[in-house]
Amino acid sequence: MKYLTALVQGFSRVLDRIAGVCLFAIMFLVVLNIITRGIFNHPIAGTYDYVNLLTAAAIGLALAYCAFQDGHIAVSFVMEKLPPKMQAVIDLLINSLGLVFWALAAWFTAGYARSLTANNMVSATSEVPLSPVVYLITLGLVGLGLVLLLRIIESWKRMIS
Amino acid sequence: MTPVMLGLIGIAVFFVLILLRMPIAYAMALVGFVGFSLLVNPQAGFSMVARELYSTFSSYSLSVIAMFVWMGFLAYYSGIGSRLYVFAYKLVGHRPGGLAMATQVACAAFGAICGSNTATAATMGAIALPEMKKYQYDDSMATASVAAGGVLGVLIPPSVIFIVYGMSTEQSIGQLFIAGIIPGLLLMLMYIATIRLLTLRNPNLGPAGPKAGWRERWQALRGGLGEVLAVFALSMGGLFAGWFTPTEAGAVGAAGVLLVALLGRHLNWEGLKSSLLDATRTTAMIMLLVAGAVIFGRFMAVSRLPFELANWTAALAMPPWAVMALILLIYLILGCFIDALALILLTIPIFYPIVVGNLGYDPIWFGVITVLVVAMGVITPPVGMNVFIIKGVAPDVPLETIFKGIWPFLGAIIVCLAILIAFPGISTWLPNLLR
Repeated sequence: MKYLTALVQGFSRVLDRIAGVCLFAIMFLVVLNIITRGIFNHPIAGTYDYVNLLTAAAIGLALAYCAFQDGHIAVSFVMEKLPPKMQAVIDLLINSLGLVFWALAAWFTAGYARSLTANNMVSATSEVPLSPVVYLITLGLVGLGLVLLLRIIESWKRMIS
Repeated sequence: MTPVMLGLIGIAVFFVLILLRMPIAYAMALVGFVGFSLLVNPQAGFSMVARELYSTFSSYSLSVIAMFVWMGFLAYYSGIGSRLYVFAYKLVGHRPGGLAMATQVACAAFGAICGSNTATAATMGAIALPEMKKYQYDDSMATASVAAGGVLGVLIPPSVIFIVYGMSTEQSIGQLFIAGIIPGLLLMLMYIATIRLLTLRNPNLGPAGPKAGWRERWQALRGGLGEVLAVFALSMGGLFAGWFTPTEAGAVGAAGVLLVALLGRHLNWEGLKSSLLDATRTTAMIMLLVAGAVIFGRFMAVSRLPFELANWTAALAMPPWAVMALILLIYLILGCFIDALALILLTIPIFYPIVVGNLGYDPIWFGVITVLVVAMGVITPPVGMNVFIIKGVAPDVPLETIFKGIWPFLGAIIVCLAILIAFPGISTWLPNLLR
């Protein structure tokens, strides 16, 4: 269990760090584009595309660590009033439902990425292939699924303890 | 079963799931997918989910959310919030309730460089609460004033909720930002008046602090407010002057705070790293909510529920103000249970066509009113996000004590809301002037 927690935490944290680098890159690129456009009348070609792709990568990659830190907003005032065992059972069911949904979403997002590759889909101005970013979102969803798996195991342990 | 009935069942299932602690974003996406799949087909449902996840995450206009969120965290880690507070309390800290009033001024100013009300409440909570404790402020007054102050961050631009409202309704984000300024300042004044009244009745709620000389005040002004004004003038001024788009304004704002922090040597490597990681976490939370709402919105559209509801409202023999009052009441009730951003995302596709299309209200004015009503939800029991954040900063104060102190501030918001409804020009005058 300890190993699994460390593994999921490590994996989601690495993805989150990459997301942080993407955010910094977006800021840098946009500001540089404004400066070169305003002063030299020469904008950086493809900024719009790069910002789109970097934003998608940043968000996709940050999903899992956000879930690991319980950052996705949930309402808990009803559940807190229930006995701990019942809470564990409901958490197990709800997280299982979440896991099934996000695992399927990851599967179909990967399928969407494959179709983008097959059709040679590229961004509008800089003609960067779109599929790698969609694969990164898939990776983020896989991470999210792993976090949910961890929560299911934790609920199971609470249930039988 | 009719599609409309399925839409209603979908909404009921969504509420059951969130009451069972499923994160709101997951519940919206899951119910949206299942409903869409039942009405169209599962294959179409899955490809819709994959496409919407990608198109929402890669939206150029929404990338600004990440930047404004990061800007707020940069301001927090570089101590701008703290310097703002020092300025505000040197100005009014010597009056009864002065520290609580200073918190409102600092929250409004911090709101000008931060897009999120929770970040505003967290920042000011960490700074103002220890000071108020030192001067023996009543726990209830101290914690509630900070939680309520966070609402100012929603109205004063930049504001993530305004961006999301603008995106959902195809209204100008720049216009919405300008429209929030006067109502934000009005609410700040209402809060200050509330604190004054409360301390007039019972001075023990907020004993007066030491008085600062004008020299000290001037120094504090240069430190705190000067930085904020510089960044605000750069990001919002450049936006209104047409140097860059609203989307670019976020990156300029973040770069501005980073530059100010680095020049003043207020930010180290650890601070920069923490600000980025906090920003990725918050942005992921917001954007998954947006994606979930988009997926849920697809389901609502194919169920035809919003259209039927709009037709039903049009057929009602009620005057427009009564329909508007009913909608605001629904927002007020739902706001007690659902996060402000999620509520806007969930309900705008349903209510916006009624209010703007059928009843003919101004979309910018409706934006300000809606944002203020849902923002009330962040301080009302049982699910008041800002109150929970303040509880996190002050773990020794019971939740009931914080909520007890919230009531007078809620009263101030309701009076402010009534003024904004009675005089729509307060919200629309500035955007019309600068149009």
